[in-house]
Amino acid sequence: MLKVQIQNLHKHFGSNEVLRGMDLDVEEGEVICLIGPSGSGKSTFLRCINSLEQPTDGMVVVDGKVITDKHADLDRIRENIGMVFQQFNLFPHLTVLRNITMAPMQCKKLKRADAEQRAHELLATVGLSEKWDCYPSSLSGGQQQRVAIARALAMDPALMLFDEPTSALDPEVVGDVLAVMRKLAKAGMTMIIVTHEMGFAREVADRVVFIDDGVIVEQGLPSQVFGAPQHERTRAFLEKVL
Amino acid sequence: MSFFELLQESLPLFLQGMLLTLQLSVISLIIAMFIGLGSCLMNISKIKVLHWIAMCYINIIRGTPLLVQTFFIYFGVTKAFGLSMTALTAGIVALSLNAGAYLSEIFRGGIEAIPRGQTEAARSLGMSHGAALIKIILPQALRIVIPSVVNQCIITIKDTSIISVIGLAELTMVGSQIIARTFRSFEIWIIVGVFYFVIIYVLSKLSKLVEKRLSLAQGADTKFA
Ligand SMILES: Nc1ncnc2c1ncn2[C@@H]1O[C@H](COP(=O)(O)OP(=O)(O)OP(=O)(O)O)[C@@H](O)[C@H]1O
Ligand SMILES: [Mg+2]
Repeated sequence: MLKVQIQNLHKHFGSNEVLRGMDLDVEEGEVICLIGPSGSGKSTFLRCINSLEQPTDGMVVVDGKVITDKHADLDRIRENIGMVFQQFNLFPHLTVLRNITMAPMQCKKLKRADAEQRAHELLATVGLSEKWDCYPSSLSGGQQQRVAIARALAMDPALMLFDEPTSALDPEVVGDVLAVMRKLAKAGMTMIIVTHEMGFAREVADRVVFIDDGVIVEQGLPSQVFGAPQHERTRAFLEKVL
Repeated sequence: MSFFELLQESLPLFLQGMLLTLQLSVISLIIAMFIGLGSCLMNISKIKVLHWIAMCYINIIRGTPLLVQTFFIYFGVTKAFGLSMTALTAGIVALSLNAGAYLSEIFRGGIEAIPRGQTEAARSLGMSHGAALIKIILPQALRIVIPSVVNQCIITIKDTSIISVIGLAELTMVGSQIIARTFRSFEIWIIVGVFYFVIIYVLSKLSKLVEKRLSLAQGADTKFA
């Protein structure tokens, strides 16, 4: 079943054409890694999928809902799309537990006890059970990012978006976050991941998509894209990063 | 008459004056908080008309003296619309409108200081614009602005002395009245000053306590701000 359908996606910032017609279909349970040079439009593409950026043109369908529809109920659709940011963006004035229970209680009207029970389960999944009562400022970057993943999962999303989730982390904690993501992928979560961790992409991705200058240049199995890139631009990029 | 006899004799009047000053300050500041928050939300609203109304209000208040605003409300507005208004009501209206405009700008500064990522995280979880504002942005913004809000409270408490011009017997007015009777202006203005000083000193101490409480409420080693 198709989880995500993106057709002819365009995004301009003023006269700056950042996305220039992108198409992507994602199957249920598929893990997609987006790679590409800085400024190529990876973040913008991801942010168009949950409408944090309003696409200039094109269609985005997530889990059967047309998010680019003028009358779309964006809040309801976004509940179904988890997003993890490079800078974590935890709520600093709330404890770890409240960070996780806030949206389910606010949007899904979950009872506090139910929301908290689910939060504790998710904290166990990301390996941070004992941190439930801490404030984000007392956690390391890797721990904060794992809480952010738990927070997104608390809404039971059908799709998870990750925008360079490990780029702001110290090297020694990158592994903890990647381990959580690997676990999610194994559990069958549909994921679109922007990453510079080529080793991780090669290992976890079902499909690697190379973006340059606002278009999808090349996509395929990790072994194809990394092993035998078809396009000159892909080769040039991979030579620089590998 | 010695200083202490003077003090003893005028103390009841001063206490009455202080009571009025406190009444004027507290009521005006409470109303001003609501006006400030309301006009701030209007100001940052995407609805152009609301933004425009808030901008007009803020600019008019900031561009004119409180004395003129007070006269305008007590004499001008009442006359033009045939209203009757006590000096106390007029004083409260003038002070709340005045402080409200400054608080509005303070609140806006606080809200704008919260990183965009906070709103984006909240919205990406499915929270509405309003829920993100109330649950995520405002609680953080209010913490940041406490020192500036306290500062505005202090300014407004001192501004109550201007309200004496419309005949309200608050502290400053009481002072002038006693001087008119006793000609002891040196001592009396010192006493008046001490009263204001004590009120403001107590407020400052209280606010420090509140700030401490709030910072404790999110871990002693808070890095956030
Ligand atoms: N809000 C915005 N307003 C104007 N221009 C923007 C905005 N967001 C992104 N851009 C521009 O869009 C282009 C693509 O940015 P984007 O963040 O999507 O790139 P990226 O591939 O994620 O890069 P990186 O790997 O550095 O994160 C850049 O040229 C950037 O300047
Ligand atoms: Mg980016």
